[in-house]
Amino acid sequence: MEKIFQDLEPYSVPSYSNWFSWSNIHEVERFSLREFFDGSSITRSPRIYKEYRDFIISKYREDPSRKLTFTEVRKSLVGDISILHKVFTFLEKWGLINFDVKSDKEADNCNGNCKPISVGGEEEEEGWRGRVKVEEGAPYGVRVVAAPNSMKPVATLPPPPSVRADGGRGVGEVGENGFKWPPLASYSDVFGDSVQQEKKKVLACGSCKENCDSSHYEYTKEGSFILCEKCFKSGNYEKNKLADDFKLINSGDQSVVWTEAETLLLLESVLKHGDDWDLVAQDVQTKSKLDCISKLMELPFGDLMFGSANRKSKFLDVTGDESNFKQAQLHFNESQESAKVEDPSHGLKDEGQQNGYADTQGQPLKRIRTEPTSNTSYSLMNQVARISTAVGPHVTASAAEAAVTALCYENQCSREIFDEDDNYADLKASAENIEQKRAAQGNLLDGDERPKQSEIQGPSSHKDTIQINLRMRAATATALGAAAAHAKCLADQEEREMEHLMATMIEAQLKKLKRKMKYFDDLELIMEKENAHIEELEESLVADRLNVLQRIFDAGISRWRDHASVKSQTGSVQ
Amino acid sequence: MKSHSAWGTSKSLVKFRIPTSDNLVPIRLDIEIDGQRFRDAFTWNPSDPDSEVVVFAKRTVKDLKLPPAFVTQIAQSIQTQLTEFRSYEGQDMYTGERVVPIKLDLRVNHTLIKDHFLWELNNFESDPEEFARNFCKDMGIEDPEVGPAIAIAIREQLYEIAVQSVTSAKESRISKKGRRAGEFYSASKTGGNAVDLVKLFGNKSSVIRKRKEWDVYEPIVDLLSNEEVDALEAKEERNIR
Repeated sequence: MEKIFQDLEPYSVPSYSNWFSWSNIHEVERFSLREFFDGSSITRSPRIYKEYRDFIISKYREDPSRKLTFTEVRKSLVGDISILHKVFTFLEKWGLINFDVKSDKEADNCNGNCKPISVGGEEEEEGWRGRVKVEEGAPYGVRVVAAPNSMKPVATLPPPPSVRADGGRGVGEVGENGFKWPPLASYSDVFGDSVQQEKKKVLACGSCKENCDSSHYEYTKEGSFILCEKCFKSGNYEKNKLADDFKLINSGDQSVVWTEAETLLLLESVLKHGDDWDLVAQDVQTKSKLDCISKLMELPFGDLMFGSANRKSKFLDVTGDESNFKQAQLHFNESQESAKVEDPSHGLKDEGQQNGYADTQGQPLKRIRTEPTSNTSYSLMNQVARISTAVGPHVTASAAEAAVTALCYENQCSREIFDEDDNYADLKASAENIEQKRAAQGNLLDGDERPKQSEIQGPSSHKDTIQINLRMRAATATALGAAAAHAKCLADQEEREMEHLMATMIEAQLKKLKRKMKYFDDLELIMEKENAHIEELEESLVADRLNVLQRIFDAGISRWRDHASVKSQTGSVQ
Repeated sequence: MKSHSAWGTSKSLVKFRIPTSDNLVPIRLDIEIDGQRFRDAFTWNPSDPDSEVVVFAKRTVKDLKLPPAFVTQIAQSIQTQLTEFRSYEGQDMYTGERVVPIKLDLRVNHTLIKDHFLWELNNFESDPEEFARNFCKDMGIEDPEVGPAIAIAIREQLYEIAVQSVTSAKESRISKKGRRAGEFYSASKTGGNAVDLVKLFGNKSSVIRKRKEWDVYEPIVDLLSNEEVDALEAKEERNIR
């Protein structure tokens, strides 16, 4: 064998493959194709491998200029086709076959990394191109109507070379029953775009063979001959073609410009047909399916159209709700602002109350639900407001009503403030309105009524607010006053009772004293009388003595001789 | 005996599967409703949920604008074939060393393909799709439907052979004596399909085929004109009816 080889030119083998020798099996081979060397099967052995290898390389070297295909060799080899292929690719990878074969892509591959040639659509085509003569300049294929209904031409597969350009109906065939099959969606969906794009990109001018950039002239008679602008202007056509026969086609013209009518048509048909792009493309006759879809995506709300058939009603509802909510928000903000504007205009005793009120009105804005606190550090108004937010609006309204009536009944001056008919009604309505506004914050769905009511209340809210403030304050003051008066009454009564009791006590004492005094007076009288009496006695006694003495005298009594006798006399007197 | 991971050892029992790197089931549809005929062939991954079948059927009908009656038929057909595949799935099959001849004889649109080659059955990393790709590339076939058709044809044959090996495994287990003649299955025992490996790969013979046999194993790709296609289609339909 080596003799034969000496006569011929040396075959070129890449330098990284110089381990190869006919007589040996190298480590590289053992490593890459180890299934031959591990004895796993009778179908694979080193001997068998060597036979495969030698045959393939020899076959290649029969004509090194042409690319050896696997198919050519595999018919001559016995063995599992997969393993044969493995050997083949191994040899090709190492450049032992098909090295330096023409076909630019392969040469690049081999010179560079020398991977096994990957199969891809483009490479396939180019490899094929190297083999088959291609009609000059024209993009492949004839425009073919794919299905009976569709107006749009489908980019068909290029006709096989043996079939002339008239044929190649491609996929859209008429079956026996006159039924035309549309192209399989998979292929045309996937590859149709890329082929079309290729077509667009690779528009080569017929005469100068350069790519036509933006616009080109198409030969109307034949339909597949194009010239770039330059050639057209320079008159560089083929012989038989006249200038008139060329039509100007601006590429990229159709797909960009969407007139309003087309857009309108598109939207209508999407709403009608939903996802069925074929029907949509039919309706919008001048635009292809892809154009429709891409245009729809560009439109600001176009995304919502996808699947719009289902979501149509929901979509409208959502927008309606949103607009209502925004309206409600707006009105509330307006009235809130107006309230805040008026507040500083009132001169108030208690600033704290006012701020508290404004705060609570503001608070429902920030937080949808406020927790009523029993924190007594807040002012009364604050507390009332909080409690009113905790209970429902109607409860609060009726409570306010009842309080007002009670106050009117009790106190005259408060009636002066409250007892005007329209004001009263306004108060009730506006009280309700306030409650409703607060409730609206927590409950967004009743958008319809609120805006209307708040609109009506809008102009009158200014006036109402003043009166409301005054009334609220008056009511509070009255309440406090009543309480104070009552307390005083009670106190007075207590005092009087105390005095009364004191008086009674004093009287009693006085009486006692008087009686005692009277008693003593009586005693005095008695004593005086006795005293008088006793004096009388005394006098009588004295008188008597005198009498006696007198008598004695008169009796001339002898002398005092007889003391005994005298004594006896006196004694007897006694 | 050492064994490469992809290659089953002789006489080993393996759970049933398509002996390729992807366990894909070839599905063939041929449905006729009201005079409309729908033919298709594709591979299905049996591990996909069955709900996908109906989805696929609907999508196909929608894409091809078929009348909706096709949906149920398509779904049923796919389901039947899947169920059949699954009925084999739990069972064992022998994966002894077997090389089977695969024949291709199919027409896809304008392309007629005839081919004949050997395929190793216990190579679980074999890839019909790769073979089909190389085939189309080498033969310069542009029609992209040819490649998948070839792969499916190969798969179908492998499927059939695998089913046969399951049944033969069952038979050999039932009969006590078992069919254990040697390590290799000769043609008669496996139903006539496998190639006699000893004869081919033994030391006495060369793996280079004799020239006269090259034609047998050479692929033939014909591009037909429209008239020929029509004629062939008519003949096929006559054969079927």
